[in-house]
Amino acid sequence: MEAHNSQPTVSLQYVDPQVDELLKHSIRTQLESLLKAKLTTGQRQLLLKKSFVDAMTLVLSNTQVEHLQLVNTFEAMYDQAVQSMALAQLSQEQLTRQYVSASGLIMSPHNCKHTIKDVYRIKGYARGIDLAIQSKLKHSPSITILYPACGPFAPLLLPLLSYYKDSNTFTSQQINVILVDVHPGAILSLQQLIKDLQLDDFILRIEAADATEYEPAESIDLLVLEAMQHGFTKEGQLSIAKHLVKFLNIDGWMIPQNVSVRGMMVIGETEFNQQWKEVEYSHSLNTNTSAQQDRVELGEILNINKSTLLNMQELELQDGVKVIPASKIKLPTGVKDMGERILAIYAHIDTFADEGVEQYDSGVTHPRPDMTFYIDAKPRDVEHTHFVASSGDMVQFYYQLSGLPGFVPVKL
Amino acid sequence: MQKFAVFTGSCQSLPIMQYLLKNNRLACVVLVDTQQNHDLMQLQHWLQQSAIETLTYKCSDDKGLIAQLDRLAVNRGLIYLFRHKIRPALLQYFTGHLVNIHPSPLPDYRGPFPLYWQLRNGENTIALSLHQVTELVDYGNIAADVEIEIHPFDTMNSVQYKVAQALPRLVEKYCQLDEKKEIKWRKQEGDGCKSAPQIEQQQLIVNWQKQTGMQIVNMARAGNVDFGCALFQLRGEAFQLLQASVVDSTLTGVQAGMVIEVDRQNGLVIKTVDGALRLDIIGTQLGGFDGYRFAMLFGLEAGMSLVQKNF
Repeated sequence: MEAHNSQPTVSLQYVDPQVDELLKHSIRTQLESLLKAKLTTGQRQLLLKKSFVDAMTLVLSNTQVEHLQLVNTFEAMYDQAVQSMALAQLSQEQLTRQYVSASGLIMSPHNCKHTIKDVYRIKGYARGIDLAIQSKLKHSPSITILYPACGPFAPLLLPLLSYYKDSNTFTSQQINVILVDVHPGAILSLQQLIKDLQLDDFILRIEAADATEYEPAESIDLLVLEAMQHGFTKEGQLSIAKHLVKFLNIDGWMIPQNVSVRGMMVIGETEFNQQWKEVEYSHSLNTNTSAQQDRVELGEILNINKSTLLNMQELELQDGVKVIPASKIKLPTGVKDMGERILAIYAHIDTFADEGVEQYDSGVTHPRPDMTFYIDAKPRDVEHTHFVASSGDMVQFYYQLSGLPGFVPVKL
Repeated sequence: MQKFAVFTGSCQSLPIMQYLLKNNRLACVVLVDTQQNHDLMQLQHWLQQSAIETLTYKCSDDKGLIAQLDRLAVNRGLIYLFRHKIRPALLQYFTGHLVNIHPSPLPDYRGPFPLYWQLRNGENTIALSLHQVTELVDYGNIAADVEIEIHPFDTMNSVQYKVAQALPRLVEKYCQLDEKKEIKWRKQEGDGCKSAPQIEQQQLIVNWQKQTGMQIVNMARAGNVDFGCALFQLRGEAFQLLQASVVDSTLTGVQAGMVIEVDRQNGLVIKTVDGALRLDIIGTQLGGFDGYRFAMLFGLEAGMSLVQKNF
């Protein structure tokens, strides 16, 4: 036990006055429970570690786990993690700053803290990363993992490392992790969380840097990356991956191993409303067969993996905007109600081996409706942002690598 | 001896009356027989306290008014903020000595809202033009004018205050020229390239995809606060932009109207067609907020667009 145990009110003394008002407001439930419990630092750290280990135990289990049990376990992990964040003493600036950088959206720690509750995103990644680590360590005494844009909780790795440490699956001699984030608030939170989880020995470095510019000195065995939003928009996943893939060992892996971004024409009401009326939660296992059959798939718009990233051609437009040519697609013909349909773009993520995150499993794979794309229909007010085409037209998609990345269709 | 009748409907003309009163040139004040408002009631109260004779301008005819002006031996008329067209009989009574003060460098900004449009167009200076009243509104020959500098931070109210301060100077200039019979009536050249029409509701709405940052800044301060400021919409609700500032942005490929930063120090920053704009003060049903607090309270995130359809 630590020396803190002899001072049972220590958490009472330092939690209350130093937490920023905004954070205090948004996590008051967790703070109240922390205050009520009158825990010592050691006791709080134990609960934190247990919540992380419990979540990973369920996630890595090969037996069926109820959705509610997963949700509750992840909620407990979130509650503990935000208590740790509260102790990191972020100023309001560090907590809430969010902005659009040249390569994508930088979220505030205040907003990103919820990512750790995204059950199936973390499940898909953690299971994939676990398999990749196991596989790598079969042939190598140690590996280096780079996790850029990891946010304040590094949720794809820290729970897994906690599990490894608790179960003695792997040691810190075997796994070296570099965590990178550009947000000073995320760095402070990470430092506190790693200290609380006592994972310092697994962490080679925490770098405060823009992931699209960061150059690791080490060769990287695993590049773990999740910096995307639905429809593969807004965040800089592609720019980061394209830059950092160069630092992977020749046999290094990127996780996710493959991201397939696809387009479909849907009736909005059927796809986004009717389909989910009878189910408890949205998930790929709960999709409705008739709604799925009603879709008109356009096919894959962009495929991102180590190989495609290394071969990607970047074009610079006149206004300085960089684009990547994506797929050419022939718009389907013979669809009677095409004029009533909207384009929805969704991603399918293969993290590693058979593990992944499918459509509707997570916010990042949720299909994103694009209300500026018209086939066989005309917008009420034509604006330069609207794309208007007809069935049978050939469309070239480009991916714009700007402050808010996203797809731009061009009629050929 | 000049004996003035001042035609007005607003307390903003008090400096004129005070100047004329002090110089024993004020015979009476003519007010419109119209619906009461706070400004007019205040003016009436001041006139009563100052024991200034008040006449009523009737919308039906001028006979009674002309008789009273004649009784008071009024030989000069000065109009300021009197939103009624003068009929020929009254023009005839004054025989060329009825003048109006229009707060713009005529012939530019003819119309009912000259100060608003000069601020909105980002003019660095405005002029007060004292001109002869003719049947065509704002078209008469100019006798005198004064120039007023506009500070980049001026709002409608602060410009009105500056105008009020400059009014006695202009009236004095006119009176002296008139006394010395040295008025050189200057014809208004051309029709002017800028106008000051009635403000339509649609003109108060920010068009993120077309307006530059500076145009939005000027729109907000011109409308701050009596003219509804500049309006923008978020999730179907309209908000008033009272103050904004242009900030640098080198971001490319980001559509105008997009939130590009929410930060306690840097505030709420929106991409514009030519750079970026910080929304400094926003009026809501819940009160006024700076951009940062507005963003936090109303859930505005970086990457969200303020461009609304069918507003």
